[in-house]
Amino acid sequence: MFGTPQYTRDRCVTGIHGLDEILRGGVPYGSTVLIGGTCGSGKTTMCIEFLVHGAQMGEACAYFAATEPSVKLLENVRQYSFFDMEMVDKGLINVFDMDVLYSWLGLTKATFDRDDIDALVKAITDIVNTIGVTRLVIDSVTTLCYKVPNDQLIRDFLFTLGKTLATQGCTSFLVAEITSAGAKAHWSSFGVEEAILDGIMVLGDIDRMGHLLRYIQVIKMRGTDHSRAKYAVELTPMGVMLTPMLKWGVGSR
Amino acid sequence: MIELDQRIAEQLTEITLNSSLQVRCGTSNAFLVTASLLEPLVTEFEMGGIYISASRPAPELIDTLTEIGVPLGSIQFIDCVSSALLGGTDNPYTNISYIDSPIMLESILLRTLFHLRQMPTEQNFVVLDSVNALAIYNEERMLAEYLHTFINTFRARDVLTAVVTVPDQTPPSVLANLDLYCTDLIDRGQVVIS
Repeated sequence: MFGTPQYTRDRCVTGIHGLDEILRGGVPYGSTVLIGGTCGSGKTTMCIEFLVHGAQMGEACAYFAATEPSVKLLENVRQYSFFDMEMVDKGLINVFDMDVLYSWLGLTKATFDRDDIDALVKAITDIVNTIGVTRLVIDSVTTLCYKVPNDQLIRDFLFTLGKTLATQGCTSFLVAEITSAGAKAHWSSFGVEEAILDGIMVLGDIDRMGHLLRYIQVIKMRGTDHSRAKYAVELTPMGVMLTPMLKWGVGSR
Repeated sequence: MIELDQRIAEQLTEITLNSSLQVRCGTSNAFLVTASLLEPLVTEFEMGGIYISASRPAPELIDTLTEIGVPLGSIQFIDCVSSALLGGTDNPYTNISYIDSPIMLESILLRTLFHLRQMPTEQNFVVLDSVNALAIYNEERMLAEYLHTFINTFRARDVLTAVVTVPDQTPPSVLANLDLYCTDLIDRGQVVIS
């Protein structure tokens, strides 16, 4: 109806079945995207697949594990046929334990102050620069934000991190754990993450007569036209697969 | 020994890969009709495919089809029944994947697409058995919407789609939609004499 836009941003192709179509080609390069979702909704699988696709194209990728030890994570993702441990061995997918990073930086306090946050952002940026990371995942940023005492600091942390990563040409997925995708829920845990990031994708469950169906919805993605409909998600050994949710089968948000 | 309906095999020679077949049968001849459909697809046309079983457990179906000599090596079963039965998934078959319930319509579609991506055969089919079984669990409008999506998804991929239905146990609006979406009809519905 509006014709083809005169200028389109280059895209980071996620390689996730159906997602690039929803995003009309992929995530605009350098975007920082919030992946909000309830437990078991497929956030980690989707993020790993995003990195695997990058690694398959020879890109250096980084995964910062904050919710589970990297050893456990790798054991879990090995069941997927799309994942190849060789990508880790060859240094294409680099997995970092946030706990290790904290100790390395001497961040042993229960809460972080501004200096701690600056040190953390610098450490992540240094890793990105050193390895030449173009795809990054922090799983989850919620766990990290629990250590940040107020909204303003969370906002500053995410804004600085997003800006720095974008400058490096790094497309980033920041995972946010939400307890409910119900009517009163935010797209993120603290309610401030969503406002400053470039994109928001929400994963959740729809209860259909006692059975939980996974779904994904792209709420916001700067720099691209995109579908805002709900899509059903199936986690298969080959990765995440999407199909439009039946309109008569979707309850309220 | 069960005798297969050869007229179904003859009718199949007239259809193309992107056809969508509406297969009408009765309650008493449903198995005969589906077996008569599968046998030529696998043996004569050397196709592989996905069989979505919502009307009865897949192991039961595999046992009976094997008994009458239908080769099942190139067929992957999606069983929407057995997960709801205690011990239903405890069987030796590796060519069955299970869906929790026939209410998970989108999961059935995605699982079918997943298995199709893994099929070694060039020409493939999808059999949905059956619409009336899905109608037990799913609301009429949702089922009609689903069939519209289902049929068009596979037609667009040049996958032969066969949708089995027992007309007198299928909601009229769903049946009317099937008439509209399907390109061909195999009618072996029961004749009701009143």
